[in-house]
Amino acid sequence: MIDSLCDQEGEENVAVAAFYCDFLSQQEQTVNNIVGAILKQLVGRGEIAQSLRKAFQKAKKEVGGRGPLFTDLMGMLRTAIVSLPKVFICIDALDEFLPKCLPELLESLKDIARESPSTRIFLTGRPHVREDVERYFAKAVVIPISPNTDDIRNYVGMRLGRDPEPEAMTRDLRADIVRVILEKISDMYVELLHICTPLVMYTYQRFRVDSSLFLST
Amino acid sequence: MAQTSYSTNVGDGNKYSGNIIDKVSVSVNNTFNNPDEDAQILRWLSPLEPRNRHQDVRTNRFEGVGDWLLETGEFREWRGGEDGAEKAILFCSGNPGVGKTYLR
Repeated sequence: MIDSLCDQEGEENVAVAAFYCDFLSQQEQTVNNIVGAILKQLVGRGEIAQSLRKAFQKAKKEVGGRGPLFTDLMGMLRTAIVSLPKVFICIDALDEFLPKCLPELLESLKDIARESPSTRIFLTGRPHVREDVERYFAKAVVIPISPNTDDIRNYVGMRLGRDPEPEAMTRDLRADIVRVILEKISDMYVELLHICTPLVMYTYQRFRVDSSLFLST
Repeated sequence: MAQTSYSTNVGDGNKYSGNIIDKVSVSVNNTFNNPDEDAQILRWLSPLEPRNRHQDVRTNRFEGVGDWLLETGEFREWRGGEDGAEKAILFCSGNPGVGKTYLR
């Protein structure tokens, strides 16, 4: 998504900042750090504004180097957005963000949208966070993502083509794998298909296990 | 006696040269952007590095997956941004593993 936005608009006309939420990093992924991470991608594009440089130099002298406060970060983000032609902010996997802090994150995004209406915000998450998003953005455009048969067929073909043990593959087996995956697949594909490893295929070939076994992982 | 005056001189010399270095570095900061300081500023803003994860996603992405989304009216309208803050948000929802992260 991020790359598409960059490519389609031409890099000089658009600034894209992205963040990937991750269960395993919930402790470090605070609202402050996320806002800071978005800000740093926007300011890291060119010359750092003098006002930001001064804020840093001042904070560095205080109490042996103070971190920026949330209000400071939001102020600096506002300044950065205003100085850029068009800003896209992408946040992936909202459901992996610490749930008790999600309202605060969404509220910050709402403030950004209100103060800089041309900012576009792209979010992804499991269906259950939709309610949270809509509580802050009643008119959010929601697009449900589900597996697409062509995507799956192409993807499986690519994964099998890259298998490091090609001798384990026969034409029948290949056809079987594609057919079974297309039949059984319900709501999972990209991540699931990462497990199409030689080991899975050997198991499949040797024991002819019902492939739903590995599809249900 | 001679020794005492020698050590005093050294002390003064250090202090003095320290001041000069301070002055030089301040003037450097004001004229050019010191790349070390730029890195420090970025790190001060946030210790997180989303760029690394983005690189992983790019590497593992499969060409063409999710292209349909870019053709939808909803996406185009959102990207165009004619509706301002009202429609600032595009939310792609889906169950785990459907490929939300890997949308191109």
